[in-house]
Amino acid sequence: MTRELPSLLKRAATPLDQPRAIGGAFVSSKCGAAGSAIDGLRQSGALKLLFPRSRRAVEAVLINTAGGITGGDRFDIQAHAGAGSQLTLTTQAAERAYGAQIGQTGKIRARLRADKDSTLRWLPQETILYQDAALCRRLRADLAPSARFLMVEPVLFGRRAMGEDPTRLQFIDRIDVRRDGKPLYRDGTNLIGNAATLLDRPAIGGGARAMASLLWCAPEAGGKLDVVRNIIGKSGGASMLCADVMVARLLAEDGFMLRRSLLPLLDLLTETSLPQSWRL
Amino acid sequence: MTTVIHMGPTVRTCMNTDAFLTLTQWLSPGFPVGAFAYSHGLEHVIDTGEIRDARTLKTWLEDILRHGSARNDVILLTAAYNAAPQQVDEIDAIARAFASSHERQVETVDQGAAFARTVDAIWGTDVGALCYPVAVGRAARAEALPLPQTAEIYTHAFVANLVSAAVRLVPLGQTEGQTLLAQCAPLIRAVAELGRTAQLEDLASCCFATDIAAMRHETQYAKVFRT
Repeated sequence: MTRELPSLLKRAATPLDQPRAIGGAFVSSKCGAAGSAIDGLRQSGALKLLFPRSRRAVEAVLINTAGGITGGDRFDIQAHAGAGSQLTLTTQAAERAYGAQIGQTGKIRARLRADKDSTLRWLPQETILYQDAALCRRLRADLAPSARFLMVEPVLFGRRAMGEDPTRLQFIDRIDVRRDGKPLYRDGTNLIGNAATLLDRPAIGGGARAMASLLWCAPEAGGKLDVVRNIIGKSGGASMLCADVMVARLLAEDGFMLRRSLLPLLDLLTETSLPQSWRL
Repeated sequence: MTTVIHMGPTVRTCMNTDAFLTLTQWLSPGFPVGAFAYSHGLEHVIDTGEIRDARTLKTWLEDILRHGSARNDVILLTAAYNAAPQQVDEIDAIARAFASSHERQVETVDQGAAFARTVDAIWGTDVGALCYPVAVGRAARAEALPLPQTAEIYTHAFVANLVSAAVRLVPLGQTEGQTLLAQCAPLIRAVAELGRTAQLEDLASCCFATDIAAMRHETQYAKVFRT
């Protein structure tokens, strides 16, 4: 039996027609008698969530079943820490942004919310940008005045140990964190063009191929500034945007060197509850 | 510019006598915003020896212009210039949130407040305490100064201030410093022009190392500059 196909589907395939991966995930946590518990959960397409047993927080591990992200892919993640609860999100492994067809961009959107007295941790593992990757990420977080928030975003520009050095890249990243509706932290990255050449420039990367941005909102953040600076060492910096908001930026020659300071740093800031997937 | 000149019993109002001179005054090193006290993290990289001559300084400045805070300041200035009065607070809050570290915030907040105080006192405007590029944008709008020139001269003043910091710290010869500034002119013009077509959504940088330099300046042992 034949069915009339829309004309769009009848045309010959072109190289632009890569298979598209679309994925969505939503998770929320609530505060119950025995600690934090999952409140709401939805997953669709190429995004799955796993919940390993954890002590105090709900720990959600994102899995991209498409195995990576390329031009035209779209991933939407929403996470909501309900009042008084603790929610941690991470990824099962590094996210890989592969080469995209010309004009096609992969999109990742994350929408986070932390209610009164909650703790929300956004701790994805590294995003690896391969040659010709075109990736556009957007993260928006809305925090209640009493919420705690920890965010890290590590990015690797190729895998140096594998001899990769991306000379064509389009990486666009936007982060907008608001507290009580007002802008608290805003960051934007445009790394477009010959990433290797750009990152070799002293004002940009000074030869680094790995970078991480970190944001930590907690009343005790100010008291930890010296410890954080000691862990980060010379290749990065940390600073207080205001009394309870710490920002840090790290540069390293590759992913291995980045982890050497990032792991102890995250251990400190998560009170040694860094998700296990970070150590596999 | 609207100047009210008291001449005996009559009051004469001169409209737009000279926008260019007003901008020159606002953005001259003599205007009391204390620009000489801010090195934008430059003092740190001069201390570590990363910037040691005109060549290494030029690379650094070019990246701040093309990919960093100079471009972002133009975007903020433009947004403030074009904004309706009720949008200004949000733009100012974005400018603060976008400051990548404590000293960057001090730099923009303190210079902006000093700038607005002086302009409001002399020109009778009502700019109020805003981040530096936002304050300049609002003041220029209030005085009906042209946006393209405001953006250009602001960016030029930004670079000139860093050059003068380097002349003192590296140290660099005066002629070398001014040569470098003259060489930057086409880029200053291009950045001011491109920034004016961008939106707040386009606020972005890839000058990770300059952010880190500003953060590390906070703990630098001996320093002359506030940032």
